[in-house]
Amino acid sequence: MDTRLKEDHFTLFRYVSLAFKNLRRRMVRTALTISGVGLAVAMAVSLGGFVMGYQGAINRSIDMLGFQVMIMAKGCPYEAATLMLKGGTGLMYLPGDTYEKVKNDPDIESITPIFVGIALKEGTAKDSEKTFTIINGIDVPSFLSMKPWLKFQSGSGRWFSPQSPDEVVLGSEVAAFEHRQVGDSFEANITPYGKTEAVHHQLKVVGILAQAGTQDDGTVFMPLDSARSAFNRPRQLTILGLKLKQFNAATMRDFENKWLKLPEVQVVSLQQVKTTLISLVATAQTMIAAVAVIAVIVALIGVINTILMSVYERTGEIGIMKAIGARRGDIFQLIWLETLVICLFGSVIGSIFAWFGSGLVEKAIRSLADFGVSGSIVLITPGVVGYAILGSAVLGFFAGLYPAWRAASMRPVESIREGA
Amino acid sequence: MKTPLIEARGLKRHYHRGSETVKALDGVDFSIHSGEMVSVLGPSGSGKTTLINLLSCLDAPTEGTMTVAGKSVTGLSEDQLVEVRRGVLGFVFQQFHLLPTLTVMENVELPLTFLGLKPHPQRTKEVLKLVGLLDRASHLPKELSGGQMQRVAIARALMIEPKILVADEPTGNLDKATGESIFGLFKELTQKGLAIIITTHNMAFGYEADRVVTLEDGRILKEEKRA
Repeated sequence: MDTRLKEDHFTLFRYVSLAFKNLRRRMVRTALTISGVGLAVAMAVSLGGFVMGYQGAINRSIDMLGFQVMIMAKGCPYEAATLMLKGGTGLMYLPGDTYEKVKNDPDIESITPIFVGIALKEGTAKDSEKTFTIINGIDVPSFLSMKPWLKFQSGSGRWFSPQSPDEVVLGSEVAAFEHRQVGDSFEANITPYGKTEAVHHQLKVVGILAQAGTQDDGTVFMPLDSARSAFNRPRQLTILGLKLKQFNAATMRDFENKWLKLPEVQVVSLQQVKTTLISLVATAQTMIAAVAVIAVIVALIGVINTILMSVYERTGEIGIMKAIGARRGDIFQLIWLETLVICLFGSVIGSIFAWFGSGLVEKAIRSLADFGVSGSIVLITPGVVGYAILGSAVLGFFAGLYPAWRAASMRPVESIREGA
Repeated sequence: MKTPLIEARGLKRHYHRGSETVKALDGVDFSIHSGEMVSVLGPSGSGKTTLINLLSCLDAPTEGTMTVAGKSVTGLSEDQLVEVRRGVLGFVFQQFHLLPTLTVMENVELPLTFLGLKPHPQRTKEVLKLVGLLDRASHLPKELSGGQMQRVAIARALMIEPKILVADEPTGNLDKATGESIFGLFKELTQKGLAIIITTHNMAFGYEADRVVTLEDGRILKEEKRA
């Protein structure tokens, strides 16, 4: 039998194995430290998911409006944009002749007039309650030129014709909530402008749209003139949606200057709306980020404390290791690996929790504020998780430096004596 | 005449405690050859542990010269002393300092990790057989008696095939019978060519060595060669 000792090419593996076994020594303490790291990482991952998810949701929701530019009544443009994204009250209307004035502008590629009204809904799934429904009066050909992706659910109908005043098309969420099929009736109470009593309308469902993941899912569509008539605003519009032939900052500025001459009108670029909405939420994100950073710092201090305690408890052992041949670098590597193992385990566990808990996080965030977009606003991607794990490794690298240096600097004679 | 494995001349180790200089060791000559067991005796504070730390390159002398396995270690830094120790010196201490989460076998193989050598189960078993613990290979330290733990520490020291075994109070925590068996094992090892330096308070054990060096106040009081 050959009993000669041979060079080992897997020393790193041996050190990792040794680090694991050392951490097992104080299981509760190690588990608590890993939990601390996990909690901090879960917060960081959720924040990352929120930043990415919200930006994606804003971009998606605004892109799915189909316009580049909106012309609307003067007021807060962002409130108006939010209204278009998710509905609401406090609607303002364009003067009746705005459409005629604007539609022949040579810079416009396409234009669609939209009337938005809020109806009181009765006969819902919960009969005892009354709900509000957003009604969009639209001109179908121009509206579809902006949103060519709108399709009906399989075998679920057609668009209404302008001559059919009592026909409606339902967004998928409305249809599901109301349990309506094509051919069913849809009842709504609409208070005409200038009146105090609502008028009951029995409308006919002629189509149900496939899910688009946008505000359209929660909207009831009517012919433009029918909607305006029902709300007793026969010549008014809420929004003109536009696409320009050439859309860039310069053409947008020129277009805006051109139509600012209309006294009651404002021109809003949806790109500006995107930027502003994102920057508004960035404040909240910054606050959450600050909390996440504090959590990470606390977790790191916990890691450093745990490893330092572990180093001091093992003073004698470290002395023996040095006596039996461990170099400074070997001890440094061992302690540093223990820190890294804690941070990596914590980051993986935190990422898993964040991944599976993203639904809860989204609910919690939505309960704090109205973010004005449909679809998921917390999007935890493999990229976010990857960055979190990489970040934890980097933090683990730095957190491990001091304890590892302390351990590596121990002199064997003193260590063995102190550890006795 | 054979070259000694360790040869030290005029070793001094002085410490500063405030304005006071403590002469823990004050001019000691020492040598040991292969297959020889030397015990260092003396009362507490006589300099036994200081001497053994210097001889085993765990500490550097304030003055004096020393060669270990033919290499001069005079003036070497702590990092350079590690390189001298690696593979040449094995250690056994009064406190065993076994890693509690490693099995007996893993504890014995630990020095190989630090020397960048592959685990060698067959050799580990041979070493464990030598110290009489082959049947405890998969046990954890907490499942062993004090004597068994000291044997594991001896096996750990022997695993790297050292030329010199340094044992500082190896029987300090053991009962008489266990201490005798450890000394019996040391004698066997010297017959295989291992040089052993031992410090002990136990005169009976100490006088079982080939040579006995007695220290007092950091100096050699007497040196006796046993038959």
